[in-house]
Amino acid sequence: MRIEFYGVLQEAAGSEAIELPIDTPSRVAHILEELGEQIPALQSHLPRIACAVGDEVIPRSEMVSGDAPLILLPPVSGG
Amino acid sequence: MEHITDQVLDPELLKRETENPTCGALIVFEGTVRNHHRGREVERMEYTAYKPLAERVLQELEEETKRRFGVVECRIVHRIGELAIGEASVVIVVRSAHRGDAFDAAEWAIDTLKQRVPIWKNDFYADGTRAYQDGVPLSACGSDEHDSASPRSSRDTQSGNSLHNQE
Repeated sequence: MRIEFYGVLQEAAGSEAIELPIDTPSRVAHILEELGEQIPALQSHLPRIACAVGDEVIPRSEMVSGDAPLILLPPVSGG
Repeated sequence: MEHITDQVLDPELLKRETENPTCGALIVFEGTVRNHHRGREVERMEYTAYKPLAERVLQELEEETKRRFGVVECRIVHRIGELAIGEASVVIVVRSAHRGDAFDAAEWAIDTLKQRVPIWKNDFYADGTRAYQDGVPLSACGSDEHDSASPRSSRDTQSGNSLHNQE
């Protein structure tokens, strides 16, 4: 499924998005575990990120279908 | 109405949009890009956003600000893209019948924006390096303990600000 990165996560991942080979539907927490294994540079960021699909922030316990990208949002610093 | 834009912000436009004869107070808050961050010289700043969520959160923030403080008008627009020192990154316009509510509402709105809106600052330093500023985890999904997360102040990382009261 498609995973999109924002902010500092783009630097850590080295790209704006990746395709993660994972069976769907899948729980967000499981996707993040897989992601951390695929891209170790993301590991230290994962505890503080939020996840979204579309315009909804979703908990890590949620199952996602993979129809839409999973959006990873690091701590915010607007203003 | 757009809340995230890559265009130069125009407080006068927001003032015109919110004109209201029942209001005796107008607060215009502008966050501006300052030339230093934690002792380092900053030459410019780049803001990025996750727009689908940022638009919705800012829309909700306007409504919540009006509801919480009983203010009549609240408009918030945040800029993204590359900004020079001194340029406005965010404008908040609040109008209310009396000044106290408007001051409180504007302060709450900017404090809350910094905790809820998926926008990121990337500082470009005078020494040629750049770095994303550390921020506030979005409490709704930082972990499964999200509901107990308490907002923390991020005033120390805020851009330079100006606050005008016209009453």
